[in-house]
Amino acid sequence: MAKVQTSAANAVSEAAKLGTKMLTGGRLLQAMRDVDVEIATTPKDLVWRQDKVSLFHYRPLAEKRIGVPVLICYGLVGRWTMTDLQEDRSLVRNLLNLGIDLYVVDWGNPSRADRYLTLDDYILGYLDGCVAEIANRAGVKRVNLLGVCEGGVFTTAFAALEPARINTLTLTITPIDFHADTVEDRPGHGFINIWTRSISAEDVDRFIDANGNLPGEFMGAIFNQMSPIRSLLKYNLDLLEIADDETRLLNWLRMEKWIADRPDHPGEAAKQWLKDLYQQNKLVRNEWELEGRLVDLGNIRMPVLNVYAKDDHIIPPATSRALGPKVGSSEYTELALAGGHIGVFVGGRSQALFAPAVASFLERHDNSRG
Amino acid sequence: MTPSDYAKAVAGFWTAQGQAFLKAQRQLGKALAEGATAMASGTLPSMPEMPTDLSASVADLATAGQSVMEMWSAATAMCGKLATTFPTADGGDATVEATFRKMIDPRSWMASTGEIDEVLGRMADAPRFADLWEVERRYARVVQAWMNVRRRGLEHSVVVLEAWLQAGRRFAEDMAGRAGADAPDAKATLALWTETANRQLLETQRSEPFLATQAAMIRASTELRLAQQELVEHFGRQYGFPTRTELDDVHRTVTELRREIRAMRRAQQLPPSATPPAASTGQPPATQSVRRQKTKRKGTR
Repeated sequence: MAKVQTSAANAVSEAAKLGTKMLTGGRLLQAMRDVDVEIATTPKDLVWRQDKVSLFHYRPLAEKRIGVPVLICYGLVGRWTMTDLQEDRSLVRNLLNLGIDLYVVDWGNPSRADRYLTLDDYILGYLDGCVAEIANRAGVKRVNLLGVCEGGVFTTAFAALEPARINTLTLTITPIDFHADTVEDRPGHGFINIWTRSISAEDVDRFIDANGNLPGEFMGAIFNQMSPIRSLLKYNLDLLEIADDETRLLNWLRMEKWIADRPDHPGEAAKQWLKDLYQQNKLVRNEWELEGRLVDLGNIRMPVLNVYAKDDHIIPPATSRALGPKVGSSEYTELALAGGHIGVFVGGRSQALFAPAVASFLERHDNSRG
Repeated sequence: MTPSDYAKAVAGFWTAQGQAFLKAQRQLGKALAEGATAMASGTLPSMPEMPTDLSASVADLATAGQSVMEMWSAATAMCGKLATTFPTADGGDATVEATFRKMIDPRSWMASTGEIDEVLGRMADAPRFADLWEVERRYARVVQAWMNVRRRGLEHSVVVLEAWLQAGRRFAEDMAGRAGADAPDAKATLALWTETANRQLLETQRSEPFLATQAAMIRASTELRLAQQELVEHFGRQYGFPTRTELDDVHRTVTELRREIRAMRRAQQLPPSATPPAASTGQPPATQSVRRQKTKRKGTR
């Protein structure tokens, strides 16, 4: 095997550059404080709380253009702070700047004491409470829902069960057909779908019985498995590459902060998530029940905007797009964004496309008098 | 350190670690099997419902360990071969070179793919118990479950190491095709290995053997944790400490009570179509709503 010999001058130059980069990076890291990498900083007020669930109302950043308020609903895997990661990469700020009245629900940090909470509790209990509070505060009969990932499933189910209380439904990177990962069958895509089908329902039950909840750390390990070699490079070469660039380093650290914030998923709710949906695919089959009520997607008659990421390896596009033929709405629109699961929120191109598309959709269907 | 020295060091480390591990497994298994036999024959205090198949578990564990050793030997040879493919640099790309050497080391590979195993291991291995004779039956179940976790872990490691070998072969073939003037520089070599290894591992992760051995590993670690909890609950009952089961009962009750309160509150509210517009009180909305919520909570106590 031939070897590439670098010249002595070139080697010295490269070594000097590397040394400077490391030195600068070291100084930057030393000077940084936790406050420098704060995320989700857009001003908001706590307006409602029940158990560990908090509802926040964002302070306006522009004149209100759309009267019906919007509730952002993230899931129990990860946290909503992804929607407001930093000032120049924030769906929240972008929506506020477009005159939207915005709320977000935070599910808190479930502990072992919350292991018996079900998805019924989250959807028909807490989410119901949030919707009622927002409607009451705004003086409207119906609110707009914006669901993200698992939170998109929450809002979809709620819209199907309580259609009279929902004005529009916007979904983002939301799985509907949990077996549609096989449509494209791209390597590295849909691993969670494959993994959950490789274990039995009894495995899920025993795992939750043993651990109480679905540990956030465990889900983090599953996510890391989806890009195994990238994870190896992350804290050496990737970090070194950006070490002397303060802006990029701060962005990287903010993302790390979000990734590290992995709440545990309440056990009974996790059983439903993994067995009813990932394994048995009940949602798209209209077989899912909450509090004994059937979630019939045909009941979703309000306008729907379904946003998905073309290269989403966690929620493959086909799993989201399966909603189209199932809803009863005459106005169903899809928006395909470039990039992956998280890129929808933090990607440069998404900043100019995502929020304006949502605002335009909401404006078309705004009926502030309810 | 030259590539050759590096490969030798890695090989030496693996061989020593592997042999030490296997020896320790055999000694542990032998001791457990002898103990079980002695107890069954009445030499030591009897153990009701004592698992009788510890010897079988030991044999399975040894077999799994042997498979890993064989794969390690093959991986050692491959690592040495891969190390010689890296372009010699005179200092400028030391970080890239170090990263490359780390990444072609199967220990790194195993570390990345074994993350779930580590997480499960931490969850399962937390309590440690030293005295076999106090709580024989439960402790023996823990040991049996622990041996099963190790065995399943080793079986999964074989699948991962096979993937590593396959990635190494692909990489070596690719590099051989780029010899001479087309030889990539250090960064390109690292990028090629990253791409090759990632592709191979993603393929492997979707394979039946990988998924089956990983599921077996999760199942085994779950059973270990449950066996440990059973043992701890036994202690708890003996000494009057609250147990996990009792706490779970309390948590279940609290959750059900909260659920009932929510349902009652919902039933008391007007139907959505009759929801009145928000009254203007002149107070900041946020303060008003939070105050209202606090008042409600007081009322429920």
